[in-house]
Amino acid sequence: MRSGQSEGKKERGGASALLPFLLLLPAVTFVLFLYLYPLVASIIRSFTVSGESYSLANYSKAWALYKRDIIFTIEVAILGTLLSTVLGIALACYVRLSRSFVARFVNSVSRLAIFLPYVIVGQMMRSFLAPHGFLNVMLANIGIVDLNSPIQFFNIKGLLLGFLWKEVPFISFLLLSALQVINDCYLEAARSVGAKTRHVVMHILIPMIKPAIMIAGVLTFCTIVSTFTLPYMLVTESPTMVTVDIAHRVTYFRDYGVANALGVVLYLLATPMAVYYLRRTVREAIYGY
Amino acid sequence: MGIKWHKFALKTVVLGLIAFLVFGPLSSVILWSIAIKWYWPHVWPQEIGLAYWKQALGLQRDWAIAAVSIWEAFRNSMIIAFIATCTTMGLAIPAAYALARFKLPIKPLFLLLFLMPKVFPQQPIFVNLLPSFTRWGLAGTLPGVIIIHILVCLLFGIWITTSAFKAIPESLEEAAWSVGATKWQTFWHILMPLAAPGLLVSTIFVFVTSLTEFTGTFFIGLPFITTLPMLLYSASGYNMQFASVLALVLLVPSLLFMVLTERIFRPEYLGAVGR
Repeated sequence: MRSGQSEGKKERGGASALLPFLLLLPAVTFVLFLYLYPLVASIIRSFTVSGESYSLANYSKAWALYKRDIIFTIEVAILGTLLSTVLGIALACYVRLSRSFVARFVNSVSRLAIFLPYVIVGQMMRSFLAPHGFLNVMLANIGIVDLNSPIQFFNIKGLLLGFLWKEVPFISFLLLSALQVINDCYLEAARSVGAKTRHVVMHILIPMIKPAIMIAGVLTFCTIVSTFTLPYMLVTESPTMVTVDIAHRVTYFRDYGVANALGVVLYLLATPMAVYYLRRTVREAIYGY
Repeated sequence: MGIKWHKFALKTVVLGLIAFLVFGPLSSVILWSIAIKWYWPHVWPQEIGLAYWKQALGLQRDWAIAAVSIWEAFRNSMIIAFIATCTTMGLAIPAAYALARFKLPIKPLFLLLFLMPKVFPQQPIFVNLLPSFTRWGLAGTLPGVIIIHILVCLLFGIWITTSAFKAIPESLEEAAWSVGATKWQTFWHILMPLAAPGLLVSTIFVFVTSLTEFTGTFFIGLPFITTLPMLLYSASGYNMQFASVLALVLLVPSLLFMVLTERIFRPEYLGAVGR
């Protein structure tokens, strides 16, 4: 890192070498005590039953009770990530290539979704997707749905809609900033030899922003796996997401063992993605590539 | 000619469908917030009025309408967000300066520590803090919730502030040093004013994150501390109108943030927002 090196020479030796550590000390202490300690504690507690013996009892109980929910969580996370990545790419490429009023409008509207918290998205979906909510009544009005047996959305369908509603604009926003850097001359060159829009998208835009697509997909996966608010507000039937089970385990049974075992399952789900993201981001911050 | 017409029709249908899926949920909440009577199969509310808004904003008290005044939750949210934001920025600015301007031997470890909460689920953290907080007498209290909010906000604060500092060329500070300015003077008179827009984004973002925080408050604060998101959650089970009013009230800070930072917001600031 350019700035770091010049700094290093000046700072070598003396009391000021301690300065950066002193500056970091309060924040690091805070995070160590209130993030890393409970994180480690949650892993240790997941292996303990009634405070002493180490065993896998919590895990076998968690698997016996919540096997369906664990699989459901993986399904939602994979489907949600794939769908929102594809739609996010489509939206970003559309906004990049089209100079129309509609594209600009869509772009600025979708930014709002990024900044809305899931608690609002949950409430919106609850009223929109209810058995006799806006969507079902609308569909009944044009004759697609019978209101005596409306479409049930408070399951994987509603969950995916809710996640897509927020994650597609998020991915598109991340990708668009990568797309804006691509010089128009690449696109013009391709078009001048007869490339159609889909060729430009598939063979120029997407390959050039592949790293950004990976990062966006990884972040979306981790968000879906760890979001508690949306499934808690939206899903009324079984199966549901693991985060909801953790809350149930703690608030109804005070069963921290199984709750922590489920927590570790969530960590394991997020780990491959997290490692990819952390390695890339740290490398970028230190070495700049 | 026939093909073109088909293409146009398809495009219109697809765009219409997308528009409905995007705006449907939003308009549904707006309609519910002003609906006095809305029974299916009616497409639009049968009777509209501002009764629920008035009740929620404390302008009227009518026992026939099941809504409480939001002011207590609003006050709680504001106190928590204000203290959490000040503390978070107090912790984040020095840390971000160290990360942006110094070469440290174990810097990757620090970066890792501040990045982990972004990709790993935070809910197990709150769950495992609950017994400790209960022991320390912090569970269900305002200070307890404030600490949780600082924890949630801190990594955003550090990351946005670090990139705000990094965006300022270091040559400007070197110029100040070369004419004899101290480190402190350079930081205060050169770096801070130049980084002010980024710091502003960081501060507002942290404030909005605290205002809309749900999961941590749910585990540490309930049932004694009611913030706006908690009130929204408890209302959404029984009262669609009141919950919709709350959702729209809570939407205002996010909307303001988006409008205020439209020009200076950068993609690398974004984490998993509003989880």
